[in-house]
Amino acid sequence: MAQPLLVSVIDDDESVREALPDLLREFGFAVAAFSSAEAFLVSPELEQVRCLLLDIAMPGMSGPELLRELRRQGRQIPVIFITAHGEAADRPRLLQQGAVDCLFKPFSEADLIRALNAALPVS
Amino acid sequence: MQRELSRVVDRAIIDTVPGFVWQAGPDGSVQFLNQRWCDYTGASLEESLGIGWTRRIHPDDAAPLGAYWQALLEAGQPGSFEARLRRHDGVYRWFLIRAVPLLDEAGQVVSWYGQNTDIEDRKQAELLLAGEKHLLGLIAGGAPLGQVLGALCGLVQSTLEGALCSVVLVDPRVGCGFGDALPSVRLQPGAAPDVPAELVGEADGRPLDADASPVACCALSGESVYCSDLAQEHRWPAWRQMARAHGLHASWSIPIACSRGKAAGVISLLFRTPRAAQPADHSVIAQFTHLASIAIERARSEAALRQSEAFAAKAQRLSQTGTFSWRVDSDEMAWSEEVYRILDIDPRQAPTLGLICCRVHPEDAPAHADVIRRQRSATSDFEHGYRLLLPGGKVKWVHLVAHATRDPQGAVEYIAALQDVTQRHHAEEALGKVRSELAHVARVASLGALTASIAHEVNQPLAGIITNANTCMRMLAADPPNLEGARETVRRTLRDGNRASDVIKRLRALFAKKEATIEQFDLNQAAREVIAMLLGELQRHNVILHPDFDDRLPPVRGDRVQLQQVILNLLLNAADAMSSISDRPRDMRITTTADGPERVRLAVSDSGIGFDPQDAERLFLAFHTTKSTGMGIGLSVSRAIIESHGGTLSGRLNEGHGATFAFSLPYLQIADATAAEAANHGRDATAGHAAENA
Repeated sequence: MAQPLLVSVIDDDESVREALPDLLREFGFAVAAFSSAEAFLVSPELEQVRCLLLDIAMPGMSGPELLRELRRQGRQIPVIFITAHGEAADRPRLLQQGAVDCLFKPFSEADLIRALNAALPVS
Repeated sequence: MQRELSRVVDRAIIDTVPGFVWQAGPDGSVQFLNQRWCDYTGASLEESLGIGWTRRIHPDDAAPLGAYWQALLEAGQPGSFEARLRRHDGVYRWFLIRAVPLLDEAGQVVSWYGQNTDIEDRKQAELLLAGEKHLLGLIAGGAPLGQVLGALCGLVQSTLEGALCSVVLVDPRVGCGFGDALPSVRLQPGAAPDVPAELVGEADGRPLDADASPVACCALSGESVYCSDLAQEHRWPAWRQMARAHGLHASWSIPIACSRGKAAGVISLLFRTPRAAQPADHSVIAQFTHLASIAIERARSEAALRQSEAFAAKAQRLSQTGTFSWRVDSDEMAWSEEVYRILDIDPRQAPTLGLICCRVHPEDAPAHADVIRRQRSATSDFEHGYRLLLPGGKVKWVHLVAHATRDPQGAVEYIAALQDVTQRHHAEEALGKVRSELAHVARVASLGALTASIAHEVNQPLAGIITNANTCMRMLAADPPNLEGARETVRRTLRDGNRASDVIKRLRALFAKKEATIEQFDLNQAAREVIAMLLGELQRHNVILHPDFDDRLPPVRGDRVQLQQVILNLLLNAADAMSSISDRPRDMRITTTADGPERVRLAVSDSGIGFDPQDAERLFLAFHTTKSTGMGIGLSVSRAIIESHGGTLSGRLNEGHGATFAFSLPYLQIADATAAEAANHGRDATAGHAAENA
């Protein structure tokens, strides 16, 4: 049996940090959740993670700032932005920043699956 | 020869005796009069002997003197009588006429000897004294000033033979006093019983002209104006012509000074013959002007008192404020008319504490009784607001302010003002409603600014709910179903549902339209709720919030929603002020602290663009705004809310960047009398002495 792919959820909201990993595990992923970008950057998961579900607005380093930092480090981990702010009209602006997709809370399971498929085509 | 010499010597002695010496036969016919008689009367000895002397008696005195003399003759007893005798120039003077009989051995009258002594000065003094007594009686009895001055003129005329006396008054409203030489000095009529009206024409209220008459000249200069012969005078030609036409030849005008050194009026004396004032005249005139000044001052101070009482009564009526006194030891009271009116009590009833108590609204009676009980022993100033229930069911709101005094014996007396504040109460109630409406409008206006934040606050739990529900479905569909996992996801779903529901509840609490409600609450907690609602918004604007709450603060009293609105407004303003800042962190601090022993302070500080110092006060004006969006009512409504809670709201620039807006609230005082009354059926606070409040 193949090793499950590691996906990380980075969100300062506890509800999302609890709910989203459980659903991802149901999909068959291994999941590690972090409450801040800074915590993720110093974690061992940084080296193994295959996809990031990244909240945009967080205290400290924001989602887009983390994305820029990862690219600066040469890490091409696909990123899916999740946000409670804004609406579909904001999507193009957010995608310009280098994310694969952008999910607006609350999002459906289908939207989540579509975004994951876009981020991890091989799976 | 020797005998002849003796007669000459006797005659010389008799002629040097002061007064008149006379001798009459037993029948009363005069047989001898000394030379002084002839000198005084200008009559010859021959025409005065017998009964010739009686022709020199004043007509009013002749008959009583004749009767008295006849009685003496019949009784053969000594006696004396006072009568006026005419001098050679026609002037009468008072004399005391003494008669002593010379009896023979058989007791028969052989001859009568007599002496007449000039008592004019004493008589004048007596008349003057009697006149003064009469005048003072009139003054003390409160007789009208015109009557008193009329009597004074009569006294002057009877004292100074041939004088026509008048008095004019200097108008106290425009006259600044003698010597001011102001053209605005005006005269008012005083009394002029026998003086032709045209000669006192200045007393018509027109400004005086010193060239018009001697009285005007006197009033303006403050100096006496004596003109002993108008024929020799060149001033006041028109007036002189009138005076001469009335047969008047001399004029004396004397100022009446009052105690404050100011002019009170002028006494004018006119004579039908030329006459220069003698020292004796000056002396009596000084007495007359003194009497006149007493009469005028008394009348004016009484008029002032009456006017002041009338003003006070009118002021009490207009301000609906009555005054009363209350002696604590005896419960003696005195009420002004307005107290009776406010309490709707018949003014003929004697004022008692019981009468007041029976008018107090039954719901307020216990608090009122407490105040009375406490103040009996406290001896301190106090205030008390309560309602009255009048016959017929009418309710009045009254406010009582009392000042404690002690008499020299230490007895306590309260002097109190009782104001009918019913109209103000209704107005404040209406104002409170309007204020509440405006506050609601302002809140709704800020709702737009909160939309994104609200969406964020709701979307977060919704995301949790939907994700958990999806997970749950999958766990239940598994074979075998993961019941434990499903239960956990359901638990989280419920939790997030409640979280979303709380957001809505908070929103509804803040934005629903409702009456102002006074309650006691924790300001920190209220601020935290506002922050919870704003977190998303602050985050979206990259604002870093630093809360610093003093958890030892006592609770405050007031309208929680209105105060939360103020906090919300300050936070939103601070966030706006930092929206264009990119060269420094967008730091926002919210702090609560104790502000002295009786107040709490909440401050919101930002690192934004600040404001123009010249705008410091205009910021609080309605519809003044420095933003491209917004109505400019936030700060004005916020200040109105804080002030209605007895607090203050102000803003200042920070030393570095940005500004700090802070409000300070008293935490032990009823926050908003209007709202409190509206909410609590008008039961006002009983505010004791400041010391009791502390």
